[in-house]
Amino acid sequence: MIISGSRLSKSFGHSIVLKEVNIECKAAEICGLLGVNGAGKTTLFKILLGLLTPDSGEIHCSSKGVKALGGIIEKPALYEYLSARENLKVFARIQGASSDKKDLDQYLENVGLETERKDAVRNYSTGMKQRLGIAIAMLNNPEVLILDEPFSGLDPMGIVQLRDLILDLAKNKGLAIIISSHIVEEIRLVSDRVYVINNGQIVKSGVTAEIIGQATLQHYLCAEHLKASTVLKEYQHTFLTETGALIEIGIEEMPRLMKRLAGEGIYLTSCTPRIDMYQLFRTAQ
Amino acid sequence: MIKALLWAEAYKLMKQSRTWYAIAAVFVLELIVLISAYYQGAAVIDILLNNLKESFYFEGDLLNGNLLIYLILNSLWFNFPLILMLVISGMITDEYKDGTLQTVMLQPVQKKWFILSKYIVATVFTVLMVLVLALSAFLFSYLIFGKSDLIVFIGKLNFFNAVEAETRLILAFLNGCISMIFFSLASLTFGVIFRDTLKTWIVSVLFLIVSNLLLKFDFKWELINKLFYAKLNDTWQYFFQYEIPWNIILRNNLLLVGYIVGFSAIGVVIFNKKDIG
Repeated sequence: MIISGSRLSKSFGHSIVLKEVNIECKAAEICGLLGVNGAGKTTLFKILLGLLTPDSGEIHCSSKGVKALGGIIEKPALYEYLSARENLKVFARIQGASSDKKDLDQYLENVGLETERKDAVRNYSTGMKQRLGIAIAMLNNPEVLILDEPFSGLDPMGIVQLRDLILDLAKNKGLAIIISSHIVEEIRLVSDRVYVINNGQIVKSGVTAEIIGQATLQHYLCAEHLKASTVLKEYQHTFLTETGALIEIGIEEMPRLMKRLAGEGIYLTSCTPRIDMYQLFRTAQ
Repeated sequence: MIKALLWAEAYKLMKQSRTWYAIAAVFVLELIVLISAYYQGAAVIDILLNNLKESFYFEGDLLNGNLLIYLILNSLWFNFPLILMLVISGMITDEYKDGTLQTVMLQPVQKKWFILSKYIVATVFTVLMVLVLALSAFLFSYLIFGKSDLIVFIGKLNFFNAVEAETRLILAFLNGCISMIFFSLASLTFGVIFRDTLKTWIVSVLFLIVSNLLLKFDFKWELINKLFYAKLNDTWQYFFQYEIPWNIILRNNLLLVGYIVGFSAIGVVIFNKKDIG
């Protein structure tokens, strides 16, 4: 493991924010941290990044570089009156990284930002600021990247671009990435493994598809003539529109149902899993 | 690392529009003094010295560059440190407000060097600001009003010839640097403690006002009158006593430097101890 935190606990006054949390991530892996607002995600990340001191527990990071960890907490905080390159220059110089124009441009290009823009970053969109934040986090080539809610505030295009960037950094550049979100779908699309945190405790962890699959108890299906299906009657279902129905069915049974519907000449135009949030955030038995 | 941090702090400070507004404000205040003196100064001086003129003969123009420089020098009481405190405290409160402090601390940067670099840059900036004030005051005042003898009232009227007046004014500006550094760095420490911009501004302004009030307050214990920080901030005025009290000036300056180091040390220790998140 490149990074691991074990038995991490933190309290603010009488309020216990983290209780004996264990988390780990290896190279080229994306670990998701899923939790509702206030679950303890940001506190955990601040502890991993050294911004907060845990009351108890240990963090181990095997990275030997100048900068072991790079990260963004909550939102990318930048010097709004400086341009993107000037921001990079300031952050590069204070940590002894190269601040040559060529190198800075390379960092900007790596995250898909224009190298020619000279205006202050206050004019940038949230997505562009996220990208610049990642470029700053990537200075001095850390082996671990920790991103707290990187998709919040982004438009659909920005989400897609950022998701591609994160996948590229992990799969092609070999970074260990821990990413938090309260949006299950985003975690499902990017992460290999997931930790579910609730009330400061890790309530579930494992392969993302399996953990989310266990909490997927319904599917919303759309197809022409769906109402005519006899197979569908075997399942508890509710038609929400003329051609769309919500079916009580787990993820394991779905391929079989799709095959049987096809046998009836009913071909699905969409199949959307519905995740039961109560099931997902419930403590594992 | 400290060299890069010093560069970064200076770069950020000079890139902020607020810094340039502050420099512009200094010039505006200076301009107001000069314009007022140009149009009304002679009449005011005539009223003030009416009685004396009946007994003494004054040679030359009393409304001259040296008097104007002295008037501008007096902005070291309140206007000038106020502007400095607003700019300098922003060096840390803005970092808290915008969250950039968190971004900096996510880099391999040591907290103590980071905050120390802010104190050093704040000191250099303060000295440069005083120099800008002094140079522009000398330049514009001599250019518009010429050079002549200086009359100053500190308990009694003191007269200095033009050459001596110039020397004393230069020394007063240089000495004033120490007081200005004290107020600048105190505001930076307030920023470290209070984090919030508005709270820090209110505390800084209050500190400046209280310091000025306490300067005139006569404590019953002589030791307090000698050692208390507020009693040390008018040392630059001692250069306009007929006999310059060098021993008192040296003692006061050493004490004030001690207070500066103390205030800065408090800021560095608190910053180091506090979590950023």
